[in-house]
Amino acid sequence: MVQTISLHRLLQEAVATPYRNLVTRATGAAVRGRIEASLAAGVGHTTLLDFSGVECLDMSCADEIVAKLLLAAANGDRVLVLAGVREEQREALEHVLAHHRLAVAACFRGLEAPDVLGWISGDARLVFADLRVGGPADLLTLADRLSWSVERAAVALDELTQHRIARRAAGVFHPVTLP
Amino acid sequence: MTRVVEVPAHFDDRSFDQFAAHFGAWPPEERVLIDARGTQWASPYGLVGLLTTGQALAEARRERPLLTVPASDDVKRYWTRIGFFAHAADLFEVHGKVPKAGHTGPSDSLLDVTPIRASEDIHEIVGKIQENAARILTSELGIEAKATMGFAMALSESCQNIVEHAGTSGWVAVQTYTFRRRLGRRVVVIAVSDAGVGFRRSLESTQARRFGDRWGDASALEAALIQNVSRFRDPGRGQGLAGIKRYLSRWQGKISIRSGTARLSIVPAWDEDVPLVDHLPFFPGAQVQVTIPAQHAES
Repeated sequence: MVQTISLHRLLQEAVATPYRNLVTRATGAAVRGRIEASLAAGVGHTTLLDFSGVECLDMSCADEIVAKLLLAAANGDRVLVLAGVREEQREALEHVLAHHRLAVAACFRGLEAPDVLGWISGDARLVFADLRVGGPADLLTLADRLSWSVERAAVALDELTQHRIARRAAGVFHPVTLP
Repeated sequence: MTRVVEVPAHFDDRSFDQFAAHFGAWPPEERVLIDARGTQWASPYGLVGLLTTGQALAEARRERPLLTVPASDDVKRYWTRIGFFAHAADLFEVHGKVPKAGHTGPSDSLLDVTPIRASEDIHEIVGKIQENAARILTSELGIEAKATMGFAMALSESCQNIVEHAGTSGWVAVQTYTFRRRLGRRVVVIAVSDAGVGFRRSLESTQARRFGDRWGDASALEAALIQNVSRFRDPGRGQGLAGIKRYLSRWQGKISIRSGTARLSIVPAWDEDVPLVDHLPFFPGAQVQVTIPAQHAES
């Protein structure tokens, strides 16, 4: 089950202004507090952070919201996914995720194919794209589809599962659920 | 006794040291007279620095300083348009005729002189700048439209240093002008200044031991700007200046931070500034200037 959280709505609740910018560490902390309250009350295993309606995103807010939620999620079994991200927000997200060696799957506005942001290898990105297009697969099938060695595919899959961008069920790897 | 502090004729980040040298030991014991009569031009850095002077003297519980306004009508009109005199009236005993705000025409600045006291002010500033920034960055500076958001991010992070570290309020202004002397191109300049504790005191408890005998204003700036160190233990801190540097590297921009007695800059190829200047005349707080040049020469 996927729980969707609108950052724009939480931003307006947090700062009580009509602005659409996720800026300042204080704002990020306030928005994150509201997200954590929603997560505590929710039942979903996957949480979709929806950036629709948000314009500017600065480093401080990206760190307070996305990085800190991902760091907290690493201690549980919750999966975090970003949606409605603008291309202009990529830089702040990539920067803070790389800083913490984190990665997350994200859907960008106007783009069909989801992307992976943050501290992740090129091989892992290719595997994620293959799982999305070709569907879930076990290690041997995936290595065959990509014409890679099994070892190479295993390393990339391990990276994706560690970041919870893919999960393994009965030997088959599934990409994270995206809208 | 009154200490006369002359504002340089061309008042910017370079001549600011000449201005600061007039104060001697800080805070000066005597009443201060800021004499701007001979000033022919002031950058946003100069103007927010002047307001910081008034604020720092007030916070040091010194007598309200005097300010004599520029003799030039053009300069007075510009200082009024950009909102300088509206704030100066709260900090200085202003001497000389100041044009009324509505009689000087609309401001052509990207962001007039604006106080920063809290996080909400930064929301206001980023909201305002986005209305004009896209048009000016693309048409005047040749920077692609999608970089506008990076500019707003750089502005937000520059201002947050005040809210997070200064321990007092500060000022920001953003202006475009032609940088004839050093570049011969249009530039957009973000100037941020506060009268707070400065980088050395902000970082002292966590960094002084690491630097040992080298510890001072210059090494504190090095820790913050080069090593992305923050006084907070939170490992996510210190990314703001790193993000600004990354944005500026793409657009051949410059960042310069003056704090206490030192100034540290990331100097692009077009500028002849030295990266580090130490043993400057003391000035309270921190002054930040971010400069982004047009990507093409003026025709």
